[in-house]
Amino acid sequence: MINHISELYGRQLSSLELPSELANLPQLNQRDAIDLKPKLRCARCGAKLNRKQAALPNGQFYCYVCIQMKRMDTLHQLVFIEEPNRFPKKLDALSWDGQLTGLQEVCADMVVDVFKNRKRHLLWAVTGAGKTEMLFKGINWGIAHGKRIAIASPRIDVCIELFPRIQAAFQKTPVILLHGKSEQPYKYSQIVICTTHQLLRFYHAFDILIIDEVDVFPFSGNPMLHFGVNNAIKPNGAMLYLTATPDQHLLSQVRRKRLSISYLPIRYHGHLLPEPTIIKIKNLSHQITLKSLNKRILKMIAQLISQKQRFLLFVPHIKDLAAVKSAIQQAHIQANFDTVYSADPDRIEKVAAMRNRRLDFIITTTILERGVTFPGTDVLVLKADDAIFSAAALVQIAGRVGRSSERPDGRVLFYCESHCATVRSCQRQIRQMNQRAWRL
Amino acid sequence: MKECLLCQVPMRAEVSFDDIILFTRVEPMLICQDCQSAFEKLTGQATCRQCGRRLTVVMENPCYDCQRWQHQISFNFRNVGLYEYNAAMKDYMKRYKFLGDYRLRWLFAKQLGQFALKTKRLLVPIPVTADTMAVRGFNQVTGLLERCHYIEVLRAAQLTKNRRQSEKNRVDRLRLSQPFELVKEKAHLIAGKKVALIDDVYTTGTTIRCAATLLYQAGAASVIGITLAR
Repeated sequence: MINHISELYGRQLSSLELPSELANLPQLNQRDAIDLKPKLRCARCGAKLNRKQAALPNGQFYCYVCIQMKRMDTLHQLVFIEEPNRFPKKLDALSWDGQLTGLQEVCADMVVDVFKNRKRHLLWAVTGAGKTEMLFKGINWGIAHGKRIAIASPRIDVCIELFPRIQAAFQKTPVILLHGKSEQPYKYSQIVICTTHQLLRFYHAFDILIIDEVDVFPFSGNPMLHFGVNNAIKPNGAMLYLTATPDQHLLSQVRRKRLSISYLPIRYHGHLLPEPTIIKIKNLSHQITLKSLNKRILKMIAQLISQKQRFLLFVPHIKDLAAVKSAIQQAHIQANFDTVYSADPDRIEKVAAMRNRRLDFIITTTILERGVTFPGTDVLVLKADDAIFSAAALVQIAGRVGRSSERPDGRVLFYCESHCATVRSCQRQIRQMNQRAWRL
Repeated sequence: MKECLLCQVPMRAEVSFDDIILFTRVEPMLICQDCQSAFEKLTGQATCRQCGRRLTVVMENPCYDCQRWQHQISFNFRNVGLYEYNAAMKDYMKRYKFLGDYRLRWLFAKQLGQFALKTKRLLVPIPVTADTMAVRGFNQVTGLLERCHYIEVLRAAQLTKNRRQSEKNRVDRLRLSQPFELVKEKAHLIAGKKVALIDDVYTTGTTIRCAATLLYQAGAASVIGITLAR
């Protein structure tokens, strides 16, 4: 329910959520929540609807695609208010006193330029390049000019990790974190950090929209979320995409000059990306299903634990988590560890436990492949040749290592049954980026 | 490739060899095996002869709650539940009723319809208030009875519900005053007939007993209840 009119600025909601005292405001705009012609189509998520499936009794329709975020139907209107940008123009909102390197500085200036000239831009920076810090200058410029800013990511973990960093850097500016599992009530604030799904609730709200990790599921190849992004941004807003592994769709937009691009091939501490070591093990997937692991893997795990070296252990499927866990327990390895997967009810707590060094290692699926930093960890990937791990995913996984300046290198071990295209492509991409970094 | 309506996992329809040579009609799958197995059927189980709940070893038949009802109400009421009201069913109800995903009626419409028709009784659905109808756009019970003939002889007495049934505790719910009234023009249709009341969930049994009282007043010969969940 809406409590104050400011909660409607730049947002689009079902008229059902509107209390009766706000229903007759002069600023309030309305449009149909479901377009009936020419084709049945949801006005919020843009999905084309099947008449039979979307039908309610009495000739009404509803959208079954975005129903998880309150239902859109022909019984109610979609209400919205134009974004008024009611923010004080603060000149030095930035309370971050870190230093950017020369290369980061160039990119940060580029970001300011993108925001000023309202461009669409792709910033291709390697994992651990300090992307968040490079945004600060641009966000600072936005705040000084009273712009509304959103940082969205398809991954909830990325948003949760971004929020405290942005809040710390802009202490005097209201920042809000929105995702499906948060219980924080919505409040009108200048900086919004949210999952890309939450953007569906906004309409022409943001002057500046930053999308972190654009190439990742569920954003890439999801027309609903692309529609939501285009609705959430103002018609002449600036759009900045961030990623370490752009997909073909983005690169083709660059080639067609619809998107400008800049590269940052080196990490903020100036060290090269750690290259993966490939270890071939026969019958690895069979061993996982039998809940027993090869001696070499167990020995490596035991060695890392005795050295007090923390690490992430990636497995391809959720069902492998329990198998690998019991295999490690059977091998009498004494350690604090846990498993985590996307639908895990304690997912957020477990990731926090790993970050707070309460766990020695964590067994995970691809959900922790990107956007999360655990300082000084190593990475082990079981069945790196599995179809689940795309080349981009492997690059990202390798990118979890050596992110802090205290320990700029580390082990990246890919255990596979055979050499396959994705693993080779990952190796090639990392080598290319390192070569590009050498030339600088 | 279709997706499971509940968990969105892609599904592949599996047609067995028997189906092919016997020309069995293959129904399209709506939900995946995992989601399907989370619902627990009550048919064929030992259940309370009055409210239809699953009986455990220590429970008497009729169960304790129904023994209390016998002191409060003049007629004996029998209810049959098709499924146990477990976590999966609660989640289903949440999505079907409160989120309003009307497609989900297909999950149980056929089964509930077949079961109701087998009783050879007149079917009377429990109504929703006008307010719920305006917000939700459908009556969850008539949605489940899509393929059957039913008579809407009851209607909600009030325009709005003060609180949702599911928000009240047991004591509040048992104290409920008559929430329904008869539709005068249709009341003659059930006089002297055997009637089955249809509802989505039986929790304390107050709602359905209130409705049954009214139907007996209208002259129904006998009234039983059929609910999707118990």
